[in-house]
Amino acid sequence: MSPSPRVEGGLKARKSRGSIGERWWSRRFIDVMEEIADSGRLARGRTYARKGQVRDLQILPYKVTSLVQGSRSRPYKVSVTIHPIPEDTWAEIEEALAGQAIFRAKLLAGEMPPEIEELFDDHDTPLFPTTRSDIDFVCSCPDWGDPCKHVAATLYLLAEAFDDDPFLVLAWNGRTRERLLSALRANAPADRPATALFDVTDQPLEDSFETFWTTGVSLTRLREHPDREPGPSGLMLRLLGDQPLRIRGTRLTDLLAPSYETLAEADPA
Amino acid sequence: MFAVHGLWRDAGLYIWAEDSEAARVTTSRAKVRAHPFAVCDLGGVLAELGPEVCGSAAKAAQAELVLSLPSGARGPAASPELGGVIGKPRLSDWRVPALWFPADAALELLERAQPSEEVLLGTGLEYFGVVLGDVIGLLRRGRVLPTLVSEHDGYAARWRPVLAGADAHRFKELAAAMPPVCRADGSRSTHALIDAMASLTDAAVRRSSTVPFPLARGGRARVSFAERWLTALRGGDARVPDGPTAEVDELAAVLRDWFAVAHQAEGEYRLCLWLTEPEEGERWWIDFAVQSSSDLSLLVPAEEIWAGDSGLPGHADDLLLAGLGRAARLFPELDAALREARPTGLELDTEGAYRFLSEAAPLLRAAGFGVRLPAWAGRSSLGLKLTTRSAASSGGAAVASGFGLDDLVDFRWDLAVGDTVIEAEELAELARRKIPLVRLRGTWVELDDRQLAAALKFLKSGDVTGRMAAAQVVQEVVAGGVADLPLLEVDADGRLGDLLSGEAERRLAPLPTPDGFHGVLRPYQERGLAWLDFLGGLGLGAILADDMGLGKTAQALALMLARPEIRPNLVICPMTLVGNWQREAARFAPGLRVHVHHGAERDKDSVPDADLVITTYGTALRDQELLAGTTWARVLCDEAQTIKNSQTRQAKAVRSIPADARIALTGTPVENHLGELWSLMEFASPGLLGTRADFRRRFAVPIERDGDPDAAAALKRATRPFVLRRLKTDKTIISDLPDKMEMNVYCPLTPEQASLYQAVVEDMLARIEASEGIERRGLVLAAMTRLKQACNHPAHLLKDNSRLAGRSGKLTRLEELLAELLDEGDKALVFTQYAEFGTQLQPYLQARLGRPVLWLHGGTRRAEREALVERFSTDPEPSVFLLSLKAAGTGLNLTEANHVIHFDRWWNPAVENQATDRAFRIGQSKNVQVRKFVCTGTLEEKIDTMIERKRALSERIIGTGEEWLTELSTGELREIFELSAAPA
Repeated sequence: MSPSPRVEGGLKARKSRGSIGERWWSRRFIDVMEEIADSGRLARGRTYARKGQVRDLQILPYKVTSLVQGSRSRPYKVSVTIHPIPEDTWAEIEEALAGQAIFRAKLLAGEMPPEIEELFDDHDTPLFPTTRSDIDFVCSCPDWGDPCKHVAATLYLLAEAFDDDPFLVLAWNGRTRERLLSALRANAPADRPATALFDVTDQPLEDSFETFWTTGVSLTRLREHPDREPGPSGLMLRLLGDQPLRIRGTRLTDLLAPSYETLAEADPA
Repeated sequence: MFAVHGLWRDAGLYIWAEDSEAARVTTSRAKVRAHPFAVCDLGGVLAELGPEVCGSAAKAAQAELVLSLPSGARGPAASPELGGVIGKPRLSDWRVPALWFPADAALELLERAQPSEEVLLGTGLEYFGVVLGDVIGLLRRGRVLPTLVSEHDGYAARWRPVLAGADAHRFKELAAAMPPVCRADGSRSTHALIDAMASLTDAAVRRSSTVPFPLARGGRARVSFAERWLTALRGGDARVPDGPTAEVDELAAVLRDWFAVAHQAEGEYRLCLWLTEPEEGERWWIDFAVQSSSDLSLLVPAEEIWAGDSGLPGHADDLLLAGLGRAARLFPELDAALREARPTGLELDTEGAYRFLSEAAPLLRAAGFGVRLPAWAGRSSLGLKLTTRSAASSGGAAVASGFGLDDLVDFRWDLAVGDTVIEAEELAELARRKIPLVRLRGTWVELDDRQLAAALKFLKSGDVTGRMAAAQVVQEVVAGGVADLPLLEVDADGRLGDLLSGEAERRLAPLPTPDGFHGVLRPYQERGLAWLDFLGGLGLGAILADDMGLGKTAQALALMLARPEIRPNLVICPMTLVGNWQREAARFAPGLRVHVHHGAERDKDSVPDADLVITTYGTALRDQELLAGTTWARVLCDEAQTIKNSQTRQAKAVRSIPADARIALTGTPVENHLGELWSLMEFASPGLLGTRADFRRRFAVPIERDGDPDAAAALKRATRPFVLRRLKTDKTIISDLPDKMEMNVYCPLTPEQASLYQAVVEDMLARIEASEGIERRGLVLAAMTRLKQACNHPAHLLKDNSRLAGRSGKLTRLEELLAELLDEGDKALVFTQYAEFGTQLQPYLQARLGRPVLWLHGGTRRAEREALVERFSTDPEPSVFLLSLKAAGTGLNLTEANHVIHFDRWWNPAVENQATDRAFRIGQSKNVQVRKFVCTGTLEEKIDTMIERKRALSERIIGTGEEWLTELSTGELREIFELSAAPA
């Protein structure tokens, strides 16, 4: 087989070793795929994904499309489709989601609550495909594999996209973040905009002669602001949750933790 | 003298400075002219700021700035630190030599720079000191993240601050407060501040990162880009050699996401969790609410949000739920509350409440969530109670005499919670139940294992009753308990009880005004006198910290008369107060033989026989050997905050002088200045409070950093026997005080003032002698004006717009007084009759005091005048209102002020009183202290004495102006004008 042309600006799987899929929901998707597809092709698709052969990944309702650079000069067109969820089923699901605040809370905090899969199952509309008949792959390549490695590469990148943004799982299932959240919201959208935090407009120097050499509020008052309570060290690391990057096999957060501990002891100025 | 300024650009601090001695104008016609009095040899100036600064200066690079400054036609205005005022300025560009400090050196500079007599720090530079304080605060709270940035020479690993929530508000406040001079190079305040905070954060993290990263050992040949980045997060070199694009992109994406998430985490509004205790039973409840991160009192309960009437911007329910979703990562039990559609709270059992209190709450709070807990939460609760009884208990508190620290007392230790004693069996039962949160007689108490173990061990130790010396009881109380078991309560009877409770002043019989004291002590002063006598009798040092104006000097003088000793008393005070002590001693205690040991003429080899020797801190250091060679009855330090830095040679010299009793006098609120309190205690009772390091660990750090109320209570218990601090607002004091207290403040002339003064006297007297009639009268009035100007300030007389600091005794005293009263939280009116001098004084005072100084004069427009009065009356911040005597004559109501200072004199009581009455009129609820500044040995003092002597006649003689003085003969004028060396 001739080597595939390298792709400029291709989407490359971030992980260069180990498996894609850090969070449970993308892991779950990969698991399902590995069950229903030929393992040899999936492995080659993984390699493709790592080499960055995929570009222009688009997640639309019930349909994902991409262009994958194969051995020919023109990239292959890939699409992955699932069965649409009927609107009345969606209405029921939305009602069920709205019934428990945990779903919105976790989705807003960037997490996918595990219970959500159960809830979809209860409505006989699995969030992830479970059998080969739930999902349809099309690729313009001549390979008869099912799926071919171009589809497999697309699936891997899809999983990674799910990693970053759990709302994409739902977008693929027919609901964008905004649409879903507004459906779950109790109240009509408010119109008072939130104010920007860092905006400070300077008075021109010409108009600042009276205060040219002084602080806006007195120096003493500026100094007096209450020092906020120190917290447990490394809180920043904890709050941000799992951080996928590893260096020599150790998680970045673990590498940094001791440094944060010493910071907590820095002398007050 | 120099004023040093700073501005931030190019990831570093630019320092430039002005020289007060250089000419202020230039003849250059260049397009951008060189700043005429900017300092070229900045290294030399910085060396003045302290030896450590030199090290940092070595890392700086020479640079040049172009600054747009308010200017006249031929030169820029000087900064207010140097007293520069220019009428109708416009903006011009000036080339200024500068030093550029990279962030690490800037960090050191900002930390170490101490103003000296020769070098002042401009407000702009102090501003970046405040910024650094904020940066260190962010560091300590761990609110920093590592980033990958692209710099001009490639990639670099940089630590950056996380400015979210309340910190973002603080950023805005800091940016808005940046002095315009810090952006005179054309930069924007937001950019300059972001650059300053970012680069200071990076430098500060690098400095404190001393532990290595726990990287697995690996012999692999290739080091990944991420690993090189990680390595560059430590040490001096932040550069990261370029790596494969994919690796760079991967790391950049991860870090960018991370940084973004950290900032999203907190917006203007945040989730607040509010724990309430059960009224009865064991059902605890956490209420959910959304809270403004800038105004913590703005709290919207979840119920209102679900009802749709929260009044918050955007989707308030999204805010609430997103907050709950994130908080659940730190407090997973929250999930249970989210099973309903519109959660408003979470129910917990007692164990759950304890877990929330001890584990989740601190995490959540530090993560930026609002957390409200019951008042008792976090207070260490189990402790010790010490009870003592005088061995020969005679009951009543009347036994004044015969108490000594050698006396033996019976003692008993008990375990206590709050003010309740717990019996051993009760404690054992609690320990058995193993529930760390128990309700004990109606109050919830947290019992942690360590405390329980310590308590059980303590009970087993057996030494819980017996006898000990009173001195040991004092030490036990100061020591404040054993590890994990703080002393919570002391119950002692008799005089020992009075001493320990800090109530001795109220319980002792007041000492009546002693014989030989001219005047009558007020009731609280008699009690103060008894207290000083009591502590002195026990051989304990005393800190008399009464509010300014309550008469600490009078009480000290009364003590010397009430308990005369064979040995002399030594008073050590700042130079500006020598004249005051001398005059107060002459007035209240004329029988004391007073000797002033100060000045170039002093006898450096012996101290003459006297009852009271007055010296200065500076002289005490220079003549340490001589003064330490005498054993003194008492050593008194006035304005003892002068020795607040216990490490200075001055403080050490003062401590080395032997005395039977030591008394520190200070008007600053000692409770706000903990380091100072330790130094004063170390002077008064050496060793009693332990080492400075102990003190910092036990009290200063927990109180100042963590606001720990238990540590504050412990400190109070440890020090209250030795500190007497009465406020002028105390009920018992206020009734003893007259509504208006008037006093003279005697100020010395500086040598420069004295020689100018003398020159004016010679010149004017000669001219007066050679003239008569109208001309003579005019000359007399002119002479008086010029002499008063010399008393005010050389720059006032010379009208040369030269520097103000350190050249006038009056001004130095004014700065000291204002600093003290502002520290007490008061407001003051300062009157001068010279508008041109006031215009120079106002920005100078504001820069020196760091508090608002308002200025009202004849030229102030009506609208502005009203705005100034409004601001002074309504802004709660302590501030100073400087007024010209004429402009402020009528129509102003300034009863917010409780201090009035007449900086110069108008020898007409009616005019002065009218001014004073701005503060002292209907609506004034506080006592008003009126101070008139008088330069010793000058016409000010002599005319003042004349007026006092002829009080009855004065109205008639003096009339309504200063005209009467023109009628005096030249001989009489000579007597009045001539500078007398000795006190009048």
